Amino acid sequence: MIRKTARKRTWFVAALLASAGLFASTLPANAETGVSSSEIKLGITLPLTGAASPGYNKIGNAMNAYFKYVNENGGVYGRKITLIQKNDEYSPQLSIAKTNELILKDKVFALVGPLGTANFTAVHKSVGIAKRKVPSLFLNTGFSGFASKKNYPTSFTILPSYAMEAKIVAQFIKENLTGKKLGLVYQNDEFGIDALGAFKDAGVKFDVSIPYTSGTQSAATAQTWVSQLAAGGAQVVVFFGVTSATAPLLAVSAAAKYAPQWILGSVGSDPLTLRALGVPVAVLNGALTPAGNPSPNDTSDEYVKQFQEINAKYNNADFDDYVLQGMNIGLMTVQALRAAGRNLTRAGLIRAMESKGSSFASVAYSPLGYSKTSNVGHTGYYMAVMDAKGDRKPYGGSVVLYTTDSAKGPVVKSNFKRPAMPAKGLPTNS
Amino acid sequence: MRKKILLFIVLGWVLLIVGDRVDELRVYQGAQIAMYTIALASIVLLTGYSGQVSLGNGAMMAVGGYAAALTLTNLQTPIWFAFLMAVIAASLFGALLGAAAARLSGPYLAGTTLALAVGLPAIANQFTFLGGEPGILFDVGFPPERLGEDFTQYKWFFWIASSIALVALFITSNILSSRFGRTWQAVRGNALAAELAGVNSSRWKILAFTISSALAGLAGAVFAMNISLVAPGAYSLALSFALVTGAVLAGISSLPGVAFGALILVAIPEVADALAGRLGDADKLNNYLPGLIVSVLLILSVIYTPNGPGENLRKLRHKRKAH
Amino acid sequence: MQKVFETILIGLSTGSIYALMSLALVLVWRSTRVVNFAQAGQAMFSTYIGFEISSRSEVFWLGLLFAIVAGALLGAGVDYFFMRVLFKHANSGPAAVVAPVIATLGLLGLIRSFVGLTWGGEFKSIETPASTNGFTIGDSTIPFSPLNVLIIVTTALILIALAILFQRTNLGLALRASAYAPEIAQLAGIRTARTRTIGWAIAGGVGGVAGMLVTANNFLSPYSLDLLLVFGFIAAVIGGLESMVGAVIGAFVLGIGLTFILNYVGTSLVFIGGFTVLILVLIIKPDGIMSRGKARRA
Repeated sequence: MIRKTARKRTWFVAALLASAGLFASTLPANAETGVSSSEIKLGITLPLTGAASPGYNKIGNAMNAYFKYVNENGGVYGRKITLIQKNDEYSPQLSIAKTNELILKDKVFALVGPLGTANFTAVHKSVGIAKRKVPSLFLNTGFSGFASKKNYPTSFTILPSYAMEAKIVAQFIKENLTGKKLGLVYQNDEFGIDALGAFKDAGVKFDVSIPYTSGTQSAATAQTWVSQLAAGGAQVVVFFGVTSATAPLLAVSAAAKYAPQWILGSVGSDPLTLRALGVPVAVLNGALTPAGNPSPNDTSDEYVKQFQEINAKYNNADFDDYVLQGMNIGLMTVQALRAAGRNLTRAGLIRAMESKGSSFASVAYSPLGYSKTSNVGHTGYYMAVMDAKGDRKPYGGSVVLYTTDSAKGPVVKSNFKRPAMPAKGLPTNS
Repeated sequence: MRKKILLFIVLGWVLLIVGDRVDELRVYQGAQIAMYTIALASIVLLTGYSGQVSLGNGAMMAVGGYAAALTLTNLQTPIWFAFLMAVIAASLFGALLGAAAARLSGPYLAGTTLALAVGLPAIANQFTFLGGEPGILFDVGFPPERLGEDFTQYKWFFWIASSIALVALFITSNILSSRFGRTWQAVRGNALAAELAGVNSSRWKILAFTISSALAGLAGAVFAMNISLVAPGAYSLALSFALVTGAVLAGISSLPGVAFGALILVAIPEVADALAGRLGDADKLNNYLPGLIVSVLLILSVIYTPNGPGENLRKLRHKRKAH
Repeated sequence: MQKVFETILIGLSTGSIYALMSLALVLVWRSTRVVNFAQAGQAMFSTYIGFEISSRSEVFWLGLLFAIVAGALLGAGVDYFFMRVLFKHANSGPAAVVAPVIATLGLLGLIRSFVGLTWGGEFKSIETPASTNGFTIGDSTIPFSPLNVLIIVTTALILIALAILFQRTNLGLALRASAYAPEIAQLAGIRTARTRTIGWAIAGGVGGVAGMLVTANNFLSPYSLDLLLVFGFIAAVIGGLESMVGAVIGAFVLGIGLTFILNYVGTSLVFIGGFTVLILVLIIKPDGIMSRGKARRA
């Protein structure tokens, strides 16, 4: 196989290299980019500064903490994982520049957990992720457009899509909240548009529907949403947007003593971030949210317990949903690397994701959809209720898992049981 | 004139060779430098020659980028036509804004264009055909096959961007050294005197705004090509600020300086990364050092070499005034 | 009808904060002929100081006091150590027109990086000095809270204090004189340079208040005051940039107008509304609503 090298040489040298590559691949010693006998280099781009950074800026450090833990316990077949974090400030231009550095200069083996819809769209096209055959695992975005094996052959999502989320919320409303007056506040971009279509398909009609543009959310804006919702008499309000919009919405509602049944989209419902934004915690009491993971405070959960221990030792950040998510991406990355075998190659990693990815241990309750024909990760949610401390519990006392797809497939209740956490949080799969 | 053509041909030839010798990362950075060069030329023309301050060049680039992307995706035209549409759309928009701007003195114009730059994402999100937050893909396609299998995508970007930049700079330098450039300088230096000499100063200001916007729009389309996408997040306020910084560092009235300014803009993040690594790898340091370096450079250069390498010229003029 | 009433009340609260920012911009513009884009950065820095003090002492007002002091000191410092040097060097040539504007941008970036290095990029929130629970009229609760009242009252007090300062004191006279006719003021024995620095200090303090009040109802990050700068600028332009009264009126007009757009048209048009107002004012009445003669040029 001819490896694409970053360096551009003359034809002659290229041909030489190519034959050398052919020769090398038959040797047991590994010659894949970013992999040496003692190290595997991985990269991630994420907003560490800028308006969109709070919350997300914790993911990289959480992944790093997990990798450190694994490294101290023997690494992956003896190789230690190095994670290079690059700050893209949530700007697509910087995502590309930084991903170029990761791939061409730092020569990472794979990308793990890159953030942002526009960011990864731009990176995938401009950097030529598919053409360079760089594995991009566990994209941190719920945009359903990435769920295409054809367009994104080397990329794999992890979060259920916004479309799945909306379909599940719609199903839940039909089953549990019929006859109530419904309100909807949504960000009129990919969050909201996906959601809108799903509600329409499910036949859920809203009495009050308020779109807002990303970036315009503030306390003043929220006051108008609340007066419109209250005027329309909405008893159940569904919210699809980011946390910086949830915060003023809930704060203002609490102020105006407007208390409908809230259903908050998963993106904007992290209690710790909400609390940091000054939302009185009590307003979260009783709010419903589709959730994929257990509560980050649920120490009876074997995953959460183990991750908290690792966090205390290697990271020392407030343990919230972002840290949980970062750790979990770390866990899944290690399983993927192990599944790819001792002779680690990019192509091997992708094959491993396709053939074994669906059996990986992950903190989320829903099944993983990876296969030869699908690059979709988690495929479902359960509905959770938040309490007065902002913690969440399954609605109705136990987890009722719904699974679905991003297209027109049905929403079904599932009895799926997730795999157990590997002993001590150290995968031994192969 | 003939000398100038020769100079640009030699320049192009040098770029061609350099592009073949450096690695892919540098080739991509070269494409970005070419893009910034065009964008900075637009500021030099507007601010350095015609004396108007715009902080909204990022917005003008967005107009060009969106025009090009919409043309390419909806009409499936050849690439060159998309770039042409970028120029046309941006210059129309620039003429409109210029008409409002011509009545404004410095700070009003700066503030208004700043507001435009801040508000652009909101406006872009307002219309669904603009693709909202995720934006629209801008795909110039793979390099032609006859260039060989080893001809990378980035090299293709670099070739396109550099050729456009060379042509744009050639035209701009001719405009600036013609009667146009001199009239702008006259209007900037003393609008009243220029009016007395029969120059309609606001018409000239609008013209400068239009041409500058055309250049910015072109840069915006090249930018869209480099990042394969137009999205509100790409044409941010930070981009507008970076452009102003680049122009000041280059010497705001020096056209040859723009290449230098563009080089610095691309180099700063890398330099900052290296520096932060040396100073210890603290998270905060890594994250805020690039901004710090840019700001300090901007402040130092605006205080100590406000007119860039053309400083000597300024002193000469100063002396003449004193007589 | 109740909705109209609500809208006006909230508009007044929003307008109050715009008024403070726009006053800060006008104060600097009058004395220095610079639109100080760094004002957002200065206000942000002051608010971070206020945040530190108020979260340690758990007294909002102590934080506000420190924010004012920090804002004033920083404002004076910027003028003394920065603007003076700038004007000494960049006083001719093509850059002379643009240097001050660009310098304040650089300063904004510098303060932002400094704040980021010191406090990081996490959102911070300040304990609110008053309840954010809306008032109840009859059986309905309106989204207008004691905090909103507090914002309006604090702003009113500051406006009154400024009015007394400018109308009734020698310092005020000196400030006005050096703004309108610096050469004559200098001849009359006013130390214009020092007066100017004092003007910057007042602007800095007022900006600090704006930052604290807007943050009381929201959250603080190195980027959280950018929009306030833009709306403050638009308000100042409506008032003609020269007039302090005009800036305040402009701010309330803008605040109430935008809240009406919010309540009756939709959130997504707020910014476009503000921008349209700016362009319309610039085209129809470029010298602002308070203009009598032709405004001075930069």
